[in-house]
Amino acid sequence: MLDLITAHAILPHLKAGNKKQALQELARKASELTGQPERLIFDVLLDRERLGTTGVGHGIAIPHGKLSSLDRVHGVFARLERPIDFDAIDEQPVDLIFLLLAPDQSGADHLKALARVSRLLRDQAVCEKLRGAQSGDAIFALLTQNEASPAA
Amino acid sequence: MEAVSYIILIGSTLLIVSVLTSYLALRIGAPLLLIFLGIGLLAGEDGIGRIAFNDPQTAFLIGSMALAVILFESGFDTKLSSYKAAAWPAMTLATVGVGITTGVIGAAAHYLMNLPWAEALLVGAAVSSTDAAAVFFLLRVGGITLRDRVRSTLEIESGTNDPVAIMLTIILVEAASHGWGSPWQVAEELIRSVFFGGALGLIGGWLVVTFINKARFETGMNPVVTLTFALFLFGGANVLGGSGYLAVYAAGLYAGNVKLRGALELRRFHAGLTWLSQIVMFVMLGLLATPHEFADIALPALAIAFLLILVARPLAVWICLLPFRFSANETTFIAWVGLRGAVSLLLALVPVLGGLDNGQMVFNTAFIVVVVSLLVQGWTIGAMARWLGLIVPPRRGPVERVELELPGNADQELVAYTVHAKSPAARGQRMPRWARPSLVIRADMVVPLYKAKPLQPGDHVYLFAPPHQLPLIDKLFGGSRALDQDDREFYGDLVLSPDATVEQIAEMYGLPLSLPNAKLTLSDLLRHEFGGSCELGDRVRMGDVELIVRDMDERGVTSVGMALEPTMATKPRVPLFRHPTELVGKLRNWWGKQSFRRWKRREQMKERRGDGD
Repeated sequence: MLDLITAHAILPHLKAGNKKQALQELARKASELTGQPERLIFDVLLDRERLGTTGVGHGIAIPHGKLSSLDRVHGVFARLERPIDFDAIDEQPVDLIFLLLAPDQSGADHLKALARVSRLLRDQAVCEKLRGAQSGDAIFALLTQNEASPAA
Repeated sequence: MEAVSYIILIGSTLLIVSVLTSYLALRIGAPLLLIFLGIGLLAGEDGIGRIAFNDPQTAFLIGSMALAVILFESGFDTKLSSYKAAAWPAMTLATVGVGITTGVIGAAAHYLMNLPWAEALLVGAAVSSTDAAAVFFLLRVGGITLRDRVRSTLEIESGTNDPVAIMLTIILVEAASHGWGSPWQVAEELIRSVFFGGALGLIGGWLVVTFINKARFETGMNPVVTLTFALFLFGGANVLGGSGYLAVYAAGLYAGNVKLRGALELRRFHAGLTWLSQIVMFVMLGLLATPHEFADIALPALAIAFLLILVARPLAVWICLLPFRFSANETTFIAWVGLRGAVSLLLALVPVLGGLDNGQMVFNTAFIVVVVSLLVQGWTIGAMARWLGLIVPPRRGPVERVELELPGNADQELVAYTVHAKSPAARGQRMPRWARPSLVIRADMVVPLYKAKPLQPGDHVYLFAPPHQLPLIDKLFGGSRALDQDDREFYGDLVLSPDATVEQIAEMYGLPLSLPNAKLTLSDLLRHEFGGSCELGDRVRMGDVELIVRDMDERGVTSVGMALEPTMATKPRVPLFRHPTELVGKLRNWWGKQSFRRWKRREQMKERRGDGD
């Protein structure tokens, strides 16, 4: 996970009233990290949501998309102050969001990153810890330490 | 007078005991039919009841009637739509499959028990027909939904293979007592009984339906009409040289799939009657059996039972399903669910009635086979389905719905729902026009509609709706349910819209793309891939991911899932049942590896020789 996300890419107390706002905030953060225009990132994310929601259930969403001029796969993690409606498949509100942006030519890397994130957040225990974590650093530690066993 | 009372008392006691133990059996998950059989055995001459019942003639008469009733209901309850998905594989299993099973088991009986060929084949024919009633009962009790194609195939197979096995048995008994007829004669007899049976059944079915729809009896009379008609048809077809069993099944199938007055009530009646028939048949056959004779043939009979479960049935299923699109796990499951039941025992009575020398031996063997099958397969069916990943995780939460049939022929039903606390309706979602309640009862009081909004949990809502819209309305008033891990495995990690094109998805995730498919939408892709009839849980591989049918309505796929890391759901659990092309591929692989090894060895030899020089 270390190659996907940095300690700076974590928003431990994001405030957002709805799905659009949350995506906007995430796009802003991603724009800071990658130097890509915020608007472009936001549009890419919206395009993907149009193909089907990325709210995978249990309060988790994994919005993602592709950008042509990225150098590698970038991740941003946000924990929402208050859960929001995200059109998730189980219709439950979402409070943990992991954003993934991949370069256009990333091929299998994009999928692999998605699979890793999905696998990590599938673990209910990890999610509970993420929800209870005190700080951004604690969240970062949780996200990265749990990857120690790639088979899980 | 006293004797009659005693008989009635004993008979009803047996029934009551059966019904009561069935309650217990459900608790411990024991195969119910085995319990009934056990009660019969216990009450019988070698058990504690010491009832000497040795009248195969009566047993066969009662058994045939019970079977006719069961077959009628089995047809009545089979939806024609399931035929669309599974008719050909099921029919192949019911014909070719029965043939293969009969052959393999016949050969085994011939060599293991030293029976002459005709009688050995009789053993095979008797145990070649499956009894799915038990299977579905067990699955239903566990609250498990099987994948549609698998369920339909098993259901139709079990309905249609009885007549085939019966005809085979009758022909074999004739062969055993009067010598083999010419193949031409045998074929003629088969064709005649199938043709007459099927045709008379359909005509009979049409007659019953018209009769009930036109004559407008008192509703209490309808079950009497269907029941007597079924028996009339059974007897009539048999007398005319058709297959009575096929006739009642076909009649039931017809009546169950057209508009029929009071159909709901009839279903309830026939379901109850089928219960009674199953109990009567099994208890009676248990009474008829004489376990002290079993010792002589126990070993070869057990061998035959396991041959049937582990070799004959899997072989037959594998061969029959080759031309159809079944996954290895589905084939494995269908092979395992070759549960044998009352039909096998009844068929094994035919040689006894025919006065064959080894008739009793045939019956005893079949009896042991059925008991083993009920024990081994009957007990493990749910676990097997789960292990093979063939269970469809329920999509909706609990729905409390009661349907009431309306008088007249309006294509509407009155349905009553209890609003679930976690339903969209209780959350205040706006109801579409076709789902507006006509009547709301809250706390035992009728609430005027304008005051009823918003609906509250526990409200009883009555509304009129065409039957095909019920699944949609279920969604509104039923509870939503939490996702669990199985869902992810079955339906994938992400959701995609069915209208997304293959191109879009391939581009987004860097998947390989075949040009002719590029412009297809995902729902078209899935539909094409499964020959126009895909169902929940169908999976298509696309590069490193799998696309899965997540949800559908009558118009097609409404939601597509994507599994990022395809898991066990498609991986074959048992390394048998591969498609020949797969086997050839494996073989070629192996051969390639061997050649490479040989080549390496040759090179080494050369090198060594070079060193020696």
